[in-house]
Amino acid sequence: MSATAEALRQATDAPDLVVEGLTVRFGGLVAVDNVSLTARGGVITGLIGPNGAGKTTTFNSCTGLNTPSAGTVALGDRTLAHHSPAWRARLGLGRTFQRMELFDTMTVRENVEIGREALLAGKRRWTGRLFSTPAEAVVCGQEAEEAMGHCGISHLAARTVGDLSTGQRRLVELARALAGDYRFLLLDEPSSGLDVGETEQFAAILSGVVEREGIGILLVEHDMALVRAVCSYIYVLDFGRLIYEGPAADVLSAEIVKAAYLGSEAVEVA
Amino acid sequence: MKEWLPFIVAGISNGSIYGLAAVGLVLTYKTSGIFNFAHGAQAAMGAYLMFEFRERVGMPWPVAGFLALLLAGVVVGLLLERGAYGLASCSLAARVTATVGLLVFIQGVLIAIYGAASLPVRPFLPQKVFDVGGVNVRAEQMIDVALIFLAVAGLYLFFTKAKLGLAVQAVVDDPALLGLAGTSPVAVRRFAWLVGSCFAALSGMLLAPTLALDARLLTLLVFFAFGAAAVGTFSSLPLTYLGGIGLGLGASLATKIIGGMKLTGPIQGLPANLPFIVLFVALLVTPTRKLVERGSQVVRRPLPPVTFAPRATAAAAAVGLAVALTVPHVVGARLPIYITGMAYVILFASLGLLVRTSGQVSLCHIAFAAVGASTAARAVGAGFPWPLAVLAGGLVAIPIGALLAIPAIRLSGVYLAIATFGFGLVIQRLFYSSMFMFGGTFAIRSPRPHLGGLHTNTDVGYYHVVLAVTVACLAVMVLIRRSRMGRLLRAFADSPTAVDANGTNTNELKVLVFSIAAFFAGIAGGLLGPITGTAAAASGIDVGGFDFSVSLLLLTVLFVAGRQPVFSAVVGSVLLVIIPSYATGETAVKWNPIIFGSLAIVAALFGGRSLVEWLASSRRLRERAATNSPQAERALRGDLVLETVR
Repeated sequence: MSATAEALRQATDAPDLVVEGLTVRFGGLVAVDNVSLTARGGVITGLIGPNGAGKTTTFNSCTGLNTPSAGTVALGDRTLAHHSPAWRARLGLGRTFQRMELFDTMTVRENVEIGREALLAGKRRWTGRLFSTPAEAVVCGQEAEEAMGHCGISHLAARTVGDLSTGQRRLVELARALAGDYRFLLLDEPSSGLDVGETEQFAAILSGVVEREGIGILLVEHDMALVRAVCSYIYVLDFGRLIYEGPAADVLSAEIVKAAYLGSEAVEVA
Repeated sequence: MKEWLPFIVAGISNGSIYGLAAVGLVLTYKTSGIFNFAHGAQAAMGAYLMFEFRERVGMPWPVAGFLALLLAGVVVGLLLERGAYGLASCSLAARVTATVGLLVFIQGVLIAIYGAASLPVRPFLPQKVFDVGGVNVRAEQMIDVALIFLAVAGLYLFFTKAKLGLAVQAVVDDPALLGLAGTSPVAVRRFAWLVGSCFAALSGMLLAPTLALDARLLTLLVFFAFGAAAVGTFSSLPLTYLGGIGLGLGASLATKIIGGMKLTGPIQGLPANLPFIVLFVALLVTPTRKLVERGSQVVRRPLPPVTFAPRATAAAAAVGLAVALTVPHVVGARLPIYITGMAYVILFASLGLLVRTSGQVSLCHIAFAAVGASTAARAVGAGFPWPLAVLAGGLVAIPIGALLAIPAIRLSGVYLAIATFGFGLVIQRLFYSSMFMFGGTFAIRSPRPHLGGLHTNTDVGYYHVVLAVTVACLAVMVLIRRSRMGRLLRAFADSPTAVDANGTNTNELKVLVFSIAAFFAGIAGGLLGPITGTAAAASGIDVGGFDFSVSLLLLTVLFVAGRQPVFSAVVGSVLLVIIPSYATGETAVKWNPIIFGSLAIVAALFGGRSLVEWLASSRRLRERAATNSPQAERALRGDLVLETVR
């Protein structure tokens, strides 16, 4: 880890997410090739790269949705290998999905509450899996209210999620992740489908989360404005390889990154 | 060695026919993503049409065969292509229900016209017997094998060489892209359905002379094709064809071996059931990455079920209970029908928990009831008090349900549906006749209870017992739905990935929900037996028996009845059990499958909303559309008029 990244680290107990030598093959295709990265607790780390660079595949390896051919993933001092997605969530690793995975027939409040309730159910034994105690119901309700408040969707609480716009749905998914008791969040293109105004709002929400909870976030994102606004440190993937890493400002002006990915449009933004 | 040869010859010739049907099935599945459960019914239809033209109209067999192929293959194939297109973005339950509905429908029509008894079929291919290396081979068998080999080989060559053949491969991957490249995906799908349907019809026509014409048997035998398709991992045509031959050979040789060793017990059923066992085992051991879900993965966002206000729900429950309590005073001698209906409410509610609440699919629900019925009857026979015996019926069904959760964990989507289907068939055909269940006579005594001084063994008394159990079961199921588990199950139906990512292991949820559903189905089964005093594994689609076809009916009727947990169960039971009992005997049995089959197809095609919901929700849908867009909202208030004019 470079000295700059170390310096960027804030005082926090939140664990780091450490990926080492990760390789994922799908048949003959090497989707992720020997990627190592460290996302610090307490800050937002960016993971960028063109479509097909292996960003989501890396995420899926972290949360246990695929089986890497080599490499390890660790949250703090715990190695995650061979554990189920649910186990990793219970350890404190939350995520959102590029193609949103929402409970479409349920209301916004129910969706966000399940962010906490599924976690509680997973941690409890026997009847605790099936029935909640009154105290737990209160916790779920409060956490959901709070998360919806932070995301600015309290007014939508009673709406059915399937009826909402993409921007609102992104916020519901984020709120669900916030309602969980996570120590690290992986956000997969949370701003895709959002307009400029919504994206700015989103940046503010993310910064607020890190400040308040002190947790770490690894953010896959195409929107360079958002990346610049919130990320302290950035990793760049291309064709499954890590081609660059550095503090946000350096990365966005690095020639190799521009050539691989950013193109003229993003340079203008930068 | 010589004594084996006739079995090998018969095995290869029958196996070829299974292979033909299986190749047609895989072809349509690959190109449309719709697994056609009605494939066997189509085969039966082909055979019956040929019979009609040949025996009743009096045409020569080539003409009759050609016409049958034209109708059951070409015409039905083209219709199916349209239907499959309409289903492409529907939920899994809708896709399964539609073709299961079609199966029920076609079978129902055939039985309504030609009766349930088998009809003899005169062979049409030459029967001359040749001596080939010391074994007698009929010309018919040689023609079958050669014809099918040519058809399958031709199709395979066509796939690998011709442009349209390659396009069929492409349409699976990306129909839109194929369209942009200048080949119409519709034409490709049409071709696939046409060939697939013709293969089905042809297999039925070729099988009929050796089997006799029997709608149920023909449909069932083409289920053999499912086993062959599983060998080819629902993807490879040559492997599927070889799988068909292998199954034919295996079944034939197993007959010889088991016959030779004079084995008894469930193993006697092995040869006839080899394909179902192979199907089930193949689905259990094939690496999941090979079982690719075909077809559109972009599914329309599901609509939430219509919910009613708590007061309305309470009022409806009170009225329902009042009606249930007056029934014995009103219906007279029909009361046993209502007792059956009451037990079916539990069956429907437990299936609803599985299908509607949790988004799983089960095509073997009646098998759980059969386990419950036989266990309860045997427990009473062994001296258990009656309530404990019925409870035991439910409890014994739990491990069976949990067993079914094993494929449910490995498989998703249509493969799970196929596995449950195979599972139900294996239980019925291997174990119903065993001493654990109904025994060789398929029936055991199942007495009514004597509870204290109450006259619970009369019709009226037993009705009240069943009513009490039903109310209790429904209450527990409603509680489950409203509990943490219920919320997780509903979430699970919408997005299993998200439930896992939020910390609850979905495999555990699957085991739990299958066990719970099996438990309640087992209880329902335990209540059904004492109605007549005999728990019988009645065959056919008679309600009250435990034939696998009842599972299919249950699913189709549930789909029509709605998604409210209790209300739909009552509606389903009224539709399936009560109403038909008022039509005169013979006709009702005939029309049941036809009506429910077609209703299920319509319900599935119309976005998976039940008919009941359509009626209840049109107003709410309008409101929802209005609140969806601010413009529409304003238009509703009349504010938008100016803007539109400008």
